[in-house]
Amino acid sequence: MIRESSPQPPHTRVTVIDRSGISPLQKIAEYRQYRTLFVFLTLRDITLRYRQTLLGVLWAVLQPILPMVIFTLVFARVLRPETGKVPYSLFALSGLVPWTFFANAINTAGATFAANHNLLNKVYFPRAILPAAAVAACLVDLTVGGVFLLGMSLWQGYRPTVEWLWLPVISLVTAGLALAVGLALASLMALYRDVKHVVPFLVQLWMFATPVVYPIQLLPARFRWAINLNPMAGVVEVGRGCLFGTPLNWTLLGMSGLSAVLISGAAAWLFHHLETDLAERV
Amino acid sequence: MKTVSVHGLTKEFRLGGHNHQYRTLREWFSRGRREPSTESAGRFLALQEVSFDASSGEVLGIIGRNGAGKSTLLKILARILRPSAGHVELRGRVGSLLEVGSGFHGELTGRENIFLNAAILGMRHGEIVRKLDEIVDFAGIGQYLDQPVKNYSTGMYMRLAFSVAAHIEPEILLVDEVLAVGDAEFQKKCMQRIEQVGRDGQTVLFVSHNMQAVLRLCSRALLIEQGKLVEQGPVHDVAAAYLRVGGGNRGERRYPEGPYAPGDSVARLRSVRVRSRDGETLTAVELSQEFGIEMELEVENPSLVLFPVLSIYNEWGTEVLWATDVDTEWHGRQRPAGHFRMIAWVPANFMTAGPMTVAAAVYSLAPRVEHFREPDVVSFQAIETYGNETARGKFTGYIGSATRPKLEWSIDFDGAGQKS
Repeated sequence: MIRESSPQPPHTRVTVIDRSGISPLQKIAEYRQYRTLFVFLTLRDITLRYRQTLLGVLWAVLQPILPMVIFTLVFARVLRPETGKVPYSLFALSGLVPWTFFANAINTAGATFAANHNLLNKVYFPRAILPAAAVAACLVDLTVGGVFLLGMSLWQGYRPTVEWLWLPVISLVTAGLALAVGLALASLMALYRDVKHVVPFLVQLWMFATPVVYPIQLLPARFRWAINLNPMAGVVEVGRGCLFGTPLNWTLLGMSGLSAVLISGAAAWLFHHLETDLAERV
Repeated sequence: MKTVSVHGLTKEFRLGGHNHQYRTLREWFSRGRREPSTESAGRFLALQEVSFDASSGEVLGIIGRNGAGKSTLLKILARILRPSAGHVELRGRVGSLLEVGSGFHGELTGRENIFLNAAILGMRHGEIVRKLDEIVDFAGIGQYLDQPVKNYSTGMYMRLAFSVAAHIEPEILLVDEVLAVGDAEFQKKCMQRIEQVGRDGQTVLFVSHNMQAVLRLCSRALLIEQGKLVEQGPVHDVAAAYLRVGGGNRGERRYPEGPYAPGDSVARLRSVRVRSRDGETLTAVELSQEFGIEMELEVENPSLVLFPVLSIYNEWGTEVLWATDVDTEWHGRQRPAGHFRMIAWVPANFMTAGPMTVAAAVYSLAPRVEHFREPDVVSFQAIETYGNETARGKFTGYIGSATRPKLEWSIDFDGAGQKS
């Protein structure tokens, strides 16, 4: 428990350490105190990602483009998905940009506790800063990829609309979701290293359960309800709707929002229970 | 002003339970079946009902042998571990030097690492910017500031890491064994910095095995034995109590007869001990007194020429002394089967102060065979004394040498401006 106490000089902080730990309100205050650490960890992750690479930040564009090319060449020819007026390559790119961000973010955030166990054992700081900084660092890639996506849309004849202003908001929602999933994965990975091996499969599976490279209509009608449970489906669909001006599926949106809230709640609960003894467990 | 108060602090680790390195999913799935055995698995009390206070301006030493619970205590105060019972009140900002350089990244430059590390230790951006010059100065890395630290020498790396940590300026500083790394110069700097922090009215909790450092820096100390606070008070009393209980030192070691003792079919070690002329086993030796290291040996095969070797290592792992049995009738000769008791006498005023360990070995040459070599076979504390009968004399400053013999000096004096 941390409280500002009055009889002491104003800056004197009294920290009480006991079994029960600190209250959620004090935790929030603590995260505010450590915002410098969040900034520098984010900068570190960005710097390290591109230091000693030949192509640097170009990778942010190449990462969604390479699968786009593959899916356009193979998937589009074999399955001939119906993507309306939107050319398939652009359609795929509009799904792959947010998805690449999401996948990278949960991968890197999920590994933070296990990778920094030495730090967790030696220094105290609010633990969620580690995965949060990992997700924030990935936002740079999303921004670069997003600008490229907008450029491609303009090139394909789409004109900016008021709806485009929603895209940054959708990006932040995606980042929040990635943080929740990353936090849960990081907490679990601190306990069970198996999680590390499961994550790549999970991400692959999740991508195909999300309308990233195919339109939602491609799914058989009797399975379509299941996609409502997937918050990323909502994110990708809303993003497309805003970008191309296609009509929105409000049921999907509502359900996705609800499942996003549930997932975040579960992640927060999991983290809260594992956090206190993280140094002992990791 | 009381800055640290600890009441009934207890920490229990579950062995084989949650603090296992990590569990696999298979174990998790089978947990239902394993539950009874997990419950009955051992519990280990790392700390039991520890209570003490510390005030501002005080450097409080925490001593005890390895595994006594000193580091657990510091980790709870640093909020890395959660106590099982009891509570702690800390007034002011807490900084910890539990390990120098945690969080440093080789690919980042010195400057980037300063900012990141300072932020990890709880500093805000403005503070770091203000202290940047001071940190760089103290570390003495000047022109290398914008080089990746992977190109730094170990010395530079350590200096930079310590410099960042030393500039947190918290009201309460937790220090754990940082003096055990780095060269003598670096250690001197650390000591001075900790002394400075104490003088500035901050509170320092200082965990160390280095009794010299504790005696020099601290006015008061705690002695922890098997998780319990067994003694607290003026540092000299507590240090004496620590040395009395053996201080983690083992002045004597005997081996059982037969094949389990170190050695081979040629020679076997029977015992090693640190002793006085009177035959008393010692765990602490005053520098101004002579002492002996006694080794008992069972020779089983008389065909080889055996060389018994004794070495003394200081706390930095430097071999300060190497000796074999020259000047005895047995040197360089074959020995008949039987029991040998050998004592090497180390003269007074030869060693420096600090914890020492002894290694005992027996070799034969042509071909060179190591019949046994037991590092850390016994250990003892070499204790500082002052006065004219010592090599230190009246000098009270820091001495970093590996040996400190009392040499014969001759001094000629020419009176100023006078020609003889």
